[in-house]
Amino acid sequence: MERPPVVVEELTKIFKVPVREAGLRESVKSLFKREHKMVHAVAGISFEVGAGEIVGFLGPNGAGKTTTLKMLSGLLHAESGKADVLGHTPWQRSKELLSQITLVLGQRQNLAWDLPALDSFDLNKAIYQIPTADFERRRDRFVEILDIGDIVTKPVRNLSLGERMKVEICAALLHGPKVLFLDEPTIGLDVTMQRRLREFVLDYNAVEHASVLLTSHYMADITALAERVIVIHHGKILYDGGLKVLAEEFGGEKTITVHAEAVPAAHDYGGVIEQTAVKLSIRVPRSDVASTTARLLNDMNVLDLSIEDPPIEEVIERVFATPKDEA
Amino acid sequence: MNPVKLGWMHLRISALNELQYRANFFLAAFNALLALATGLIVIGLVYSHTESLNGWSQPELLIVMGVHVFIGGLIRAFVEPNMYQLMQDIEEGTLDYTLTRPADAQLLVSVRATSIWQTVDLAIGLIVVAIGVVQLQTATTVAHVTAFILTILLGVVIIYCVWLMITTAAFKLIRVDNMVQMLQGIYQAGRWPVSIYPLWLRGGLTFIIPLAFAITVPAEALADRLAGSTIALAVAFSAVVMLVTRLIWRWGLANYSGASA
Repeated sequence: MERPPVVVEELTKIFKVPVREAGLRESVKSLFKREHKMVHAVAGISFEVGAGEIVGFLGPNGAGKTTTLKMLSGLLHAESGKADVLGHTPWQRSKELLSQITLVLGQRQNLAWDLPALDSFDLNKAIYQIPTADFERRRDRFVEILDIGDIVTKPVRNLSLGERMKVEICAALLHGPKVLFLDEPTIGLDVTMQRRLREFVLDYNAVEHASVLLTSHYMADITALAERVIVIHHGKILYDGGLKVLAEEFGGEKTITVHAEAVPAAHDYGGVIEQTAVKLSIRVPRSDVASTTARLLNDMNVLDLSIEDPPIEEVIERVFATPKDEA
Repeated sequence: MNPVKLGWMHLRISALNELQYRANFFLAAFNALLALATGLIVIGLVYSHTESLNGWSQPELLIVMGVHVFIGGLIRAFVEPNMYQLMQDIEEGTLDYTLTRPADAQLLVSVRATSIWQTVDLAIGLIVVAIGVVQLQTATTVAHVTAFILTILLGVVIIYCVWLMITTAAFKLIRVDNMVQMLQGIYQAGRWPVSIYPLWLRGGLTFIIPLAFAITVPAEALADRLAGSTIALAVAFSAVVMLVTRLIWRWGLANYSGASA
């Protein structure tokens, strides 16, 4: 079998950060004697990303997501462990590897501020040595899909955040990378723009059969793009598998909603989410779903009944609530 | 990719960028002329009292001053903008993108920014050098000019390396603006031939902050004061400085932690 494009084994990154108490006295003291704390940003993680696979990388702020992406794109050296991206160790920064991957950081801008994006595209063409035919084909296609024909000729500083992100991601993919590291590419964008970018990533993934490792705090990004998620917390992997299975494993409860002719004011069916005279929403443990449903049907004149998994946001929140020593 | 082509692409882009700010040209020209006028007045004052300054005649000193202005212009136009950009990128973490490019990172950070208007100093510097050469009593030969060009190139390489080494400290120290400002201050000492300074300072200006190689040596080449051994020394010294700079740069990159997202 072919080796997956991204293979990570026991990857670790430790940052040495200076620490001091607040206040002038402590500042002066730290001039002479600086105290450091070792922060295990990434603490021995292992995973693989297959060819053409889109994997969502989830975790709260400071979980180690960006650090991992930066190691995989060659920016940071790992403390220990192995990483293999397209057959290369990323932090050796071989040109062969760098010309086949891309890193998009939603919070950083990459394009020349005062120039139209088209000039920056040309610069990328030169740096990545993209053959003219490929370059023009991709550029024209991206411009069409993202609908940025008018935007690419304006200086980047005159663009809105959404417009800028569109040209940023366009610039980042012109060289046709096989592996994409996307770090919160939709941050700060409105819902329509987020959907646009998601569709663009999906299209690129389908056309170029590229692997994508994506972080986002918007669950809509993850559910739309990734079938598989890796949940990282305190630098360790808590979960690696299907998004659906995650909901089952960590979403220990289901939501039952009934519409009835009359809902009793007092009852012991389960934790109430919403209750009116004719509607009741309750949360019950997965194991009690069948018996509770039977009781509801028995006790009330039920007009409508639905059983749902909790929203994925809620599931993720439960996963993140895991205490550090259990992680 | 070909470094010259890469440099040219970036030069073109940053020139396009700069051309939008026309007022900068007048500012740079005004600054350059002001500095030139002050320099000429000082030289005039010195030579109203004496025929030679530690063996340097007035035309020879004009050449030193011209080279000083010329190299200063090169630094301000091509070296400093890149170093400031690098410092800013290290501080803000925006170096990330540069490092993901499939090109030599040292080359990329060295050619990204240009203050195109500062090149006005190059023209003024060369004019001053030319006036000095015309006033010289001795004839200037092709050999002199060749030696001048060679030593200027070596000088530029050495100055670039020193500036980059200092800036690379930002990987560890984050803020190094003060050090770069200090370099600018020390650079002013290059206005005079290093041989007029006391021995300890001469040593410092030759091997620590090597203004001697960047300014005095090219001026000596034109003024027919240069020994072949000095050229050989300049070649060897710049090779060593380049190698050391490369090693320090690599060390810096390995220490890069990026600003957090």
